[in-house]
Amino acid sequence: MVADLRPLGKAQAEGPEALNAPLFHSLIKRLEGGGRWIVLDLGAARSDTIRTFGRFRCRLDIVDLAEAVGALRDVTDPRLLRQLVDALLPRRGPEATDVVLCWDLINYLSAPALTAVMESIAVRCKSGALAHGLVYYSTRTMPQQPGSFVPLDDQRLINKGASGPERPAPRYSPEELARCMPRYTVERGRLLRNGMQEFLFRL
Amino acid sequence: MFEIGKKGAPEKGPEASGWTETRPESASSQKSGPREKAVIGPSIHIDGDLRGEEDLLIEGEVSGTVQLRSNSLTIGAQGKVRADVYANSIYVEGLMEGDLYGTERVHIRKSAQVRGNVTSPRVSLEDGAKFKGSIEMDPQAVQTATANRSIGNARPAAAAKPAVPGKPEATPALKTGI
Repeated sequence: MVADLRPLGKAQAEGPEALNAPLFHSLIKRLEGGGRWIVLDLGAARSDTIRTFGRFRCRLDIVDLAEAVGALRDVTDPRLLRQLVDALLPRRGPEATDVVLCWDLINYLSAPALTAVMESIAVRCKSGALAHGLVYYSTRTMPQQPGSFVPLDDQRLINKGASGPERPAPRYSPEELARCMPRYTVERGRLLRNGMQEFLFRL
Repeated sequence: MFEIGKKGAPEKGPEASGWTETRPESASSQKSGPREKAVIGPSIHIDGDLRGEEDLLIEGEVSGTVQLRSNSLTIGAQGKVRADVYANSIYVEGLMEGDLYGTERVHIRKSAQVRGNVTSPRVSLEDGAKFKGSIEMDPQAVQTATANRSIGNARPAAAAKPAVPGKPEATPALKTGI
């Protein structure tokens, strides 16, 4: 598969800061090992993401869950949350998911919503599937809406959507994440220089 | 069933066939070259199986299936297609609900809203486009899927198709004719 690319324009290059993301890099290295991969992208469809994963034998399932963050925030009943999330995610098909790209979505979900989302995803995943996420940790605020993180290259991510007013960040700790995502274990975590913590979770 | 430009088929006028042939002037239609292409205009609604052997621009509404095996299909900015689409090259600028099989390429422009699955050896998407579904980028899987489509008209096995979020579980039976 060949993805068409447009080089970053000058404004983009001078805009948001690129983040070194070593765990994302480690994920890419695993894909480079070969084989077929089913990748679930919880973010919006972006050309840079398609380009990055288009190099591999991949099927990229794009959910754009950020659109539903507001609706999920207002629901507290776990059963109703689960039903809502199940309707937003693709049904489990014959090929289970290997890799989940959460980007910064975790920060925009309440604890019950995070549990519902990650549990629904878990039933669609293979055992041993990996989920990559970015959590605002040492910084107290975050953009009002989920960003548009995309790979700048195999080692760096960039948020093309962050601007405007900010809101308090939930600053989920690893312990809180473990409570919200009981089926996942933190394989690795790294503090990034922008105050976000990068996580690679394993199912 | 609609058939466009089929070799050996009797000539039909625009009034009889429901489409017009023109040299499109929109930006989208110029990208596949200067040759004429058929246009389904904004006021045309088609419910059925649309087949053809020439390039096609859809600015109207089409439901069912669209098959242009050796030609390009452009779903224009005003176009609304609720169908599974098979073509050599597919360009989407408008609303598309259904699966896209492009034997050469699929290009989704920033104005597009797509809910469905894309299978093609070359897939590109402009930032700003709304897309929910799957993009098959495994060359082996793409080859199998597109080869299956070129062998027969059978729809791909439901089990092999990734499910689209929010898409109804049962795909309605295809209609033939109008």
